[in-house]
Amino acid sequence: MQVFLPKAVNQISWSSTHFMRVIRGPDSECQRRTPPSVTAAITPEGVLGHLMALEREGMGQQDQHESQRLEMLKARAVTLRAKRDQLKHQTDVVKILKDKISTDLPLDDDAAAAGGFTELQKSLLTAWRMQLKDLQRAHHLIGGYDLVECKEGKSVCVSFHTAFEGVYLETYNMELDLTRTVQISRHNIPPSFPLESFAKQILQKDLKAFLQTLSQNLNALAARRRQVCLLKELVGSVEVMESNQLCNILVLMCTAQSESPKAVLCTLEYADLTQCLPTRVRIECEDKTLSQSPQWKKNQSLLLESPAHTAVLTMRRMGSIA
Amino acid sequence: MDAQATSVLNRIIRRIPNKNIENLLKKWNCLSAEQLRALDYTRPKWMIVEHVISFCEENRLNLKHITNLEMIYHIENPDQGTWYACQLAEAQDDAVCVELTQFKEHFKAHLHGVIRHISIKMKKHEDEAVWIRIAWGDNFSKPNHLKPTYVVHHLHTSYVFISNLVAKHKIFLCQALVIATKHGSIKDGHLSTKSLTAMRDLLLRRYQQAFPNEQSRILQDRNTLSSHPCIGKEHSDHEEMRHQMSCEAFGHGPSPKLETAVYRLETRYRGNGNHTLSDREEFFRGVVRFSSSSLLDSLRHCVASGMAEGPVTPLLSAITQRGRNYFVITDKGPGVSSQASAQRA
Repeated sequence: MQVFLPKAVNQISWSSTHFMRVIRGPDSECQRRTPPSVTAAITPEGVLGHLMALEREGMGQQDQHESQRLEMLKARAVTLRAKRDQLKHQTDVVKILKDKISTDLPLDDDAAAAGGFTELQKSLLTAWRMQLKDLQRAHHLIGGYDLVECKEGKSVCVSFHTAFEGVYLETYNMELDLTRTVQISRHNIPPSFPLESFAKQILQKDLKAFLQTLSQNLNALAARRRQVCLLKELVGSVEVMESNQLCNILVLMCTAQSESPKAVLCTLEYADLTQCLPTRVRIECEDKTLSQSPQWKKNQSLLLESPAHTAVLTMRRMGSIA
Repeated sequence: MDAQATSVLNRIIRRIPNKNIENLLKKWNCLSAEQLRALDYTRPKWMIVEHVISFCEENRLNLKHITNLEMIYHIENPDQGTWYACQLAEAQDDAVCVELTQFKEHFKAHLHGVIRHISIKMKKHEDEAVWIRIAWGDNFSKPNHLKPTYVVHHLHTSYVFISNLVAKHKIFLCQALVIATKHGSIKDGHLSTKSLTAMRDLLLRRYQQAFPNEQSRILQDRNTLSSHPCIGKEHSDHEEMRHQMSCEAFGHGPSPKLETAVYRLETRYRGNGNHTLSDREEFFRGVVRFSSSSLLDSLRHCVASGMAEGPVTPLLSAITQRGRNYFVITDKGPGVSSQASAQRA
């Protein structure tokens, strides 16, 4: 507690002591000379005496207060330091946990429990999960494609990734100009792809559907192209006689294993450009009986149902072709 | 062998340097091995020509074989003469299903139907290109094999590359192409170069383009090994930005070797002086021509080094974006006449 002494009292006390000393100087003479009324004023029971007493109180309390305050402050400093150390420790733990979460490292539940940080860990994980969910939702709104803003919002750039049988193939990019209507500004999609017709049909109405169609067709094209590449690697078993940029027709020549090896021509037509499997397979051979045989009927259905290179490998394994 | 055949053969062999003649004749596969061995390529050209002619007569080769030789020569050395690009438009629904044999049949049928004497030869190259050689005659005279037109088309794309076509035959060729590829119309592509390879690379996008995605931010393949560790680049951010901008506009890595870009101005002169717009009613006609041994490389360097201010003006980036090198700029804005030909497929 702090005692607040008005300044005036201090001044009075100083002047009163001064006055008292002045008056009390030569003691006996003062007392003899002063009239009885004044004597009453300078005795300790009077106003000045009261003031003196107050002064003494104040001084004494101040000393008390000071030492009290000092102790209090010291104690406070100690607690604050302890708290600071605790907070520092906590922030370090939070940092470590956050790093672990964002880099997908497993969190040590026991260590957390030991340090008393289970609650903290839980709340951090929840926050991270919410953040990821928001990101996922935003991603879904743009159709799940990575849209990158360029030219200060005047255009966006989309990437289409293609993959087949777990192998990533080419990535195609496209820049869409958004100033008045959505228009394709530039891209690196191969020119044999009927991009213009897709753009005319779908782009103005529904961007998400356009991106979806494009992705589907590009993936199918990449898949068909990859099949042709893999077939070309199977040298000796099969020869690619004809194919084209769009890979919508494939003519293969294989050698049938029979008494005399005969050449068989397989024509695969891909009428549906969103699929990587053919819509029609024709088997042609000089020997009509061979092409009508049940073995080759089975091969025909194999080529219809599985990717070309897998079908050829199966045919080779089964002994139909060399 | 008749006179025309000999003169065509003469012309081919005279054009090639001696050291390449052997390879060409081997590819042609019409002369026997002993005949090939007997030819001495150190002799003067006229002697080689005479020997080859005599061998051809020995083997009873005729004009057909000679034109085959000429075609092989052109396929091997496509960057000769001037090539023009044309673009097919209004694809019909079944344009995607056009097959090579179908294309060949329809093309030949149409041309044979309109011109009585015409000689058409078609060859498919490994890279899916169809080469067509046309020797034009008319209803009275035989085809002239000394001035053949060459046409290159990649099936399912909308581009056709033409060399050596005269105006009076243009309409027949255009009609035939439109019918054979099942499109509605064909128009001028506003792109002409000496090098077919450059034209094809540009239009068929056979060069590396740069897009502003996160992955391709790191386009800089600067040689950091050569720079001293004590040297720091003050404006490295700006440099990277300029490099990115230039690569987005003109491609990354080796670019198609275009040689010229021509801008024809049909604008009115707007000077800083006291002339008002109403004073000048007629156009200030001018032609701006950029020439370089590799135009796109030089433009890219201009932008990357800071000589040209960024962002890249659409007049220059339209060369790669629209795939043309001839532009007409009118008062309404530079893009009007180039927009008329719309975006390329």
